[in-house]
Amino acid sequence: MSANDSNFRVEQSGASDDSIQQVHARLLATKPEKADGYSKLPLVVLGLMCSAIFFGSIYLAHFSLRFDPLVYSERANREKPGAVKIVPLTRAQLGKKVFDTTCLACHQANGLGVPGQYPPLVATEWVTGNEERMIRIVLHGLNGPITVNGKEYNNVMAPLGAVLKDEQIANVLSYIRASWGNSAPEVLPETVAKVRAETSSRTTFWTAAELLKIGN
Amino acid sequence: MNSPANNRSEQMEIDASARWPVLVFFGSALLWLLLGGVMQLAAAMQLHQPGLLAADEWTTHGRLAPAAQNALVYGWGMNAAFAFGLWLMARLSATTLRHGGWLFVAAKFWNLGVTLGVLGILGGYSTSFELLEMPRFVSLILLAAYALIGVWAVTTFSIRNTENVYASQWYLFGAAFWFPWLYAIAQVMLFKAPVRGVLQPVVNAWYAHGLYNLWFVPVALTAAYYFLPKILGKPVANYYLAPLAFWWLAITSAFAGGSRLIGAPVPVWIPTLGIAANMLVVVAVVIIGLNLFGTLAGRQAEARNSLTLRFIIISLVSFVLAAVMNLALSMRGFAATVQFTVFDGLRDWLTFYACFSTAMFGAAYFMLPRLTGREWRSPALIKAHFGATALGVGLMIAGLTYAGWIQGKLLNDAAVPFAEITKAMAPWFAYRTVVLGLLLLGHVAFLINFLGMACPFNFAKVPDALFRAPPDLSPEAHAPVGHSLKGVGP
Repeated sequence: MSANDSNFRVEQSGASDDSIQQVHARLLATKPEKADGYSKLPLVVLGLMCSAIFFGSIYLAHFSLRFDPLVYSERANREKPGAVKIVPLTRAQLGKKVFDTTCLACHQANGLGVPGQYPPLVATEWVTGNEERMIRIVLHGLNGPITVNGKEYNNVMAPLGAVLKDEQIANVLSYIRASWGNSAPEVLPETVAKVRAETSSRTTFWTAAELLKIGN
Repeated sequence: MNSPANNRSEQMEIDASARWPVLVFFGSALLWLLLGGVMQLAAAMQLHQPGLLAADEWTTHGRLAPAAQNALVYGWGMNAAFAFGLWLMARLSATTLRHGGWLFVAAKFWNLGVTLGVLGILGGYSTSFELLEMPRFVSLILLAAYALIGVWAVTTFSIRNTENVYASQWYLFGAAFWFPWLYAIAQVMLFKAPVRGVLQPVVNAWYAHGLYNLWFVPVALTAAYYFLPKILGKPVANYYLAPLAFWWLAITSAFAGGSRLIGAPVPVWIPTLGIAANMLVVVAVVIIGLNLFGTLAGRQAEARNSLTLRFIIISLVSFVLAAVMNLALSMRGFAATVQFTVFDGLRDWLTFYACFSTAMFGAAYFMLPRLTGREWRSPALIKAHFGATALGVGLMIAGLTYAGWIQGKLLNDAAVPFAEITKAMAPWFAYRTVVLGLLLLGHVAFLINFLGMACPFNFAKVPDALFRAPPDLSPEAHAPVGHSLKGVGP
């Protein structure tokens, strides 16, 4: 250990308590002076304080999640509660509303229609095939016999071109083409506008025979 | 400034007034250190020898481990802090410790409380809160006893005969208020009018962190700030920064407890606030390091010759390491690996044992010869104590840091079955037992030496000339050139 064991048996003091207090009180009262310019230490300590406060605040702002008592994970969504987040919906999702108000009465929620009355929209070439035929049917209606999935239907579908906008028609057709097991590409409003322009002079319902000539 | 001779006789009067209260507190502290150490050793052994003492429910691990921790914290830690704190408060206030008889009463009640508390834990009446396991009624005894002790410290300070207040007194005075604040609030919020649900672990974490960092750390710093200038005869370096460090540490530490709850099902801002506070604590640690290591700089040889300063240096290094560890455990990525491993336990051990307890050992080696007027009997036992402490602290830090990392890696690997991890850790638990045993040997050596010195039948009184009259502190190291502080005084 050390050369001087007696130091370990009795520790000697190097300063009296009184003088310790007085000298340190003096050191607090007098600012440290440096002969050569200024002391860097206060600046370094100030810099350290500032950076600690800076990083601490950033960390706190980032991970405190608004001090929300109900948020338990620092990885939770940082949006303000009540902030409306824009969720992009697909055309098919938007079209469901149109289908429910306009088409559902006849073609049913499951798209299977009513046997012998209204044709199904599921797994048929009329729906998943060329989109121009469907657009025409929706725009101007359909009258007379039509064969869907090998079954004959003879009924009337009302024209909806005046009721629905191009966007709505595109959405509802996209919905039909993407639902109940159908998986055809979506229909764009531009296509609907184009067909509407091409058939603007038409005033009567389509027939199945006419439609079959289109888009082959 | 009084002449050294007057100073010395005045000081002897103060030491004489503090003698019996301090010896009673310190003696009880050492008994608890030994008793708690034995229980801690047994509890540590149970982790690799599960059959040990498992037959009796009183000594199962679930009771023995918290009983050991409470015996060490409230038995050894608090008693030692009271002994050292009261003595230093009297000395730095330049006034005698009056009506010491009341302090005997306080010591009796405090130790009665700790005894009942530890027995209560062993008997199965423990609460489920870390460091607050003692049965509810015990807290009233402890608080009442503390009230006496705290009032004595504060009163002694308020009737001080000195013009100036030194850094050690700030920390003592602060700690004297922080402990009852922490303890009373934790008792009320957990037992008297319990808060609901997730708030309970929050209060518990705040208390545990506060007890270590606002009670034990300030007392350790009190010792460091006192003994460095006292023994080296050199003012504290960059002392003008010390008040900033004091306030900074007090305020940031109070908020840092939440960092113990990383990943816990509590509102996430609580751990986040704790983590940010731990980032801020760094500033105080840097300043305290500049103060105290700066004072040591250039005087290493003298410091090595002083037993007290050797212990204080271990304490200071551990203080810095504990702050680093607190910060590391606050990093969410790092915590993901080492939280719930032996590394987590090492953090508190580092604060309580390596920082606080070693400071108290150092203080005792200075204080007790002055109080008893006798020399330490055996240099060999002193060497054994210091050697065991230095080696034990080093081994514990190195070993458990590595073991904690390994354990964390294994725990996070879903492919490793839990039994495998237990097997892999068994050698490390054995390692910890060995280190704790080593430290316990050092404590036994210390206790024997203490008894040899404090025993009332020891008439080998040495002359007062044993203590040289201390010179006045020379401020030359930091005073501006040509601006002598000599001869300034009342």
